[in-house]
Amino acid sequence: MPLDEAQAMQFKAIKYTFARHYTLNSFYHRYCEEKGVTPDDLKTNGDLEQIPLIPDSVFKQHPSGKDFAYWIAGIFTGDLPQVVIKGANPTFDDVINAFNAAGMAVTYSSGTSGLSTVIPRDMKTMRYLQYSWTKKWLDFWDAAPDHSLTFIPKSTHTNLTASKIQEVFLDLFKDPHHALDFEISADLAVRASVGDTPTAAEQLSAEEQLRKMFIIGTKWLERYEKTTDTIWLLSFPALFSAFLDALEGQGKRFDFGERGVLQTGGGWKSRDGKGISHEDFRKRVKEVLGFPDTHCHDSYGMSEMTSVSITCPEGHYYHLDPWLKPIVLDKSLTSVGYGEWGRFAFLDPLAYSYPGFIMSGDQVRLLEHCPVCDRPGPVLDQTISRMGSEEMRGCATLLANILQDDLRRQ
Amino acid sequence: MTQVSEINESRHPLQEVPKQSGFELDIGTVIRMMLASGGLRKMRVMEPDEPRYVRPPREYELPEYRQGMKYCKSNEKYLRPTRYCNPREPLVIAMANELGAYELSDWEFAEAAYWFVKTKLVLEFLTLNRVSETLTRGTGTCYHLMSVWIALCRAAGIKARYKTFKMRVPEQVTTLTEAAVGDTTPIDMFDTGGTPEGEGEAYIDDKWEVAHLAFRPEIAAAGGLPVTRLGEDAIGNTFDLVPGTIKRFESISLRLALLSKAMMWLAPAAMERANAFFHTQALPVGRKILEDAGGIEAYDHNIRRMKELLSAEDITRKLAAERKQLIQFTE
Repeated sequence: MPLDEAQAMQFKAIKYTFARHYTLNSFYHRYCEEKGVTPDDLKTNGDLEQIPLIPDSVFKQHPSGKDFAYWIAGIFTGDLPQVVIKGANPTFDDVINAFNAAGMAVTYSSGTSGLSTVIPRDMKTMRYLQYSWTKKWLDFWDAAPDHSLTFIPKSTHTNLTASKIQEVFLDLFKDPHHALDFEISADLAVRASVGDTPTAAEQLSAEEQLRKMFIIGTKWLERYEKTTDTIWLLSFPALFSAFLDALEGQGKRFDFGERGVLQTGGGWKSRDGKGISHEDFRKRVKEVLGFPDTHCHDSYGMSEMTSVSITCPEGHYYHLDPWLKPIVLDKSLTSVGYGEWGRFAFLDPLAYSYPGFIMSGDQVRLLEHCPVCDRPGPVLDQTISRMGSEEMRGCATLLANILQDDLRRQ
Repeated sequence: MTQVSEINESRHPLQEVPKQSGFELDIGTVIRMMLASGGLRKMRVMEPDEPRYVRPPREYELPEYRQGMKYCKSNEKYLRPTRYCNPREPLVIAMANELGAYELSDWEFAEAAYWFVKTKLVLEFLTLNRVSETLTRGTGTCYHLMSVWIALCRAAGIKARYKTFKMRVPEQVTTLTEAAVGDTTPIDMFDTGGTPEGEGEAYIDDKWEVAHLAFRPEIAAAGGLPVTRLGEDAIGNTFDLVPGTIKRFESISLRLALLSKAMMWLAPAAMERANAFFHTQALPVGRKILEDAGGIEAYDHNIRRMKELLSAEDITRKLAAERKQLIQFTE
């Protein structure tokens, strides 16, 4: 599709969603009023950068107990179902489970800051997110492989966003399999992500779970090595590195060749906090499993985004979904365009149930085209890192206070 | 005995005030100062191990006065000499000419004088004095700095006056002070139901244009505040106003002059501490921030853009109360 046609479609989609949140979401409406931006101000694609951006920290500043339920209701755009929550002092999981039992798809991510990002999706928005993942198979591979093994929690065992996306795997793969097969509470997920020192019992339990996971993974690989079926694995880089260590420790080697695909996501820090080199990691995957370099894909996304960006096989640059309008901001939060490093922000027209006009805490560089492959559209450079949130800190504090005030008034 | 002076504060009616209105310093302030700074002795005597204030060198050359330099000789209100603000002093005339008086438009001159005072003169707690002394020294309180700018404007034939009000100290400034000196004494001692603050105003193109001169850009940067420009009020931008406290007047009052002297006599050590704090703590912090940002203009652009995008005061004041009824809690 020619670029101008694609931009026209993108503009139409983003304007539609902006108008929806402007009209139906009271907190976002007032924010836009303060900024003096209305849907009528958006005449061309270039005007889209006027859309008021919400710092990602807003979605981390949720209170607890009953107030958490009201917070979700306030952030949500659309018709809220009747939600019944059991208990006078509901936990984080109790509240989310109650919303989901009422037909929503509220999920969280285990933020490395110790504060989980909570996103109030309706089923429509969740389906859009799952579609984004499914579409990757069309973008990068001809068809879904025969079998899948994931090293992330099962969707029925947790409300983690990454896990809930996997529900689509049930339709996508013949034999979706989970190596990590136990319940994950929000508390456990957050503690794990911030690196809290586990108790001796927890340590033992974690080591045991890891051992079981690796046994499941090893058996699964052995089962399909002898066939001609295609396989796909999904994991966090650090966890998969540990799995490769375990396989090497046992002297196991596989040669799946082009029958195997690995997809990673979730950041490139090892379990001891050190950075993992993408290239070294791919080399190890080739040595141990026999997957070619072009069959190792990393993904970049965040809980707030209705999209997942996957690295291309040729150059390993992150290709963005065409509906998403990426923006890179400098320190003054002004858009800097292609080729410059800065804060990643985006306008997400598929975020139907919350305003998905977000500025993140990630430092990225946006390129107009992939330098290696000929797929159309902008890409993100391979190096993505966290950056300080000074520019957004004042806002974050303020928002927390405002939110508390609002809750008190209710 | 009294004249009507303009008061035009938003949402507050016009009212009459004496022509020579004064700084809101009274005995209550003095007592508060004593309490805030831990007693009379502490206010008067520096401890041996305390850092002493050393006046920084003047940041500009003094221009030479030459016969025939143009200046305003009118005795009209707001143009004539007033207490501690004589626009006809030779050094004031020379500086006004140096800055472009009678060559630039009124706005351009007032702006040149504004940036000269705001970026070249430095805060120092002192008794009030003549403008030429302030120019020679290069330091002064907000009143000294206001007087310099007002005198320069008057010398250039532009009507100018004082404006005072009480403000609530911005949280950023309190936090910075507390972080730098371990307590908020330098702030608290002036906080008598609002801290006195002043601005100048010049009558340009049929309109009074405000000038907030007290905060050098470094101080604004240290507090994460925008650098105000000529025509931009510090109220609402840098400070929150204590309602009903705005006063405008032509001259500094005798009462203020005496109180200024009394304060320096009563609390020289407290003043020196405040001076040392500004010069050794606040200014270097702000200077570093400005350097990192790429200069005053770049810093100001950044901070204003941030405020614009992030004054999200707004963002989540917004939970829809009607949704509360859709959430039901059961035992």
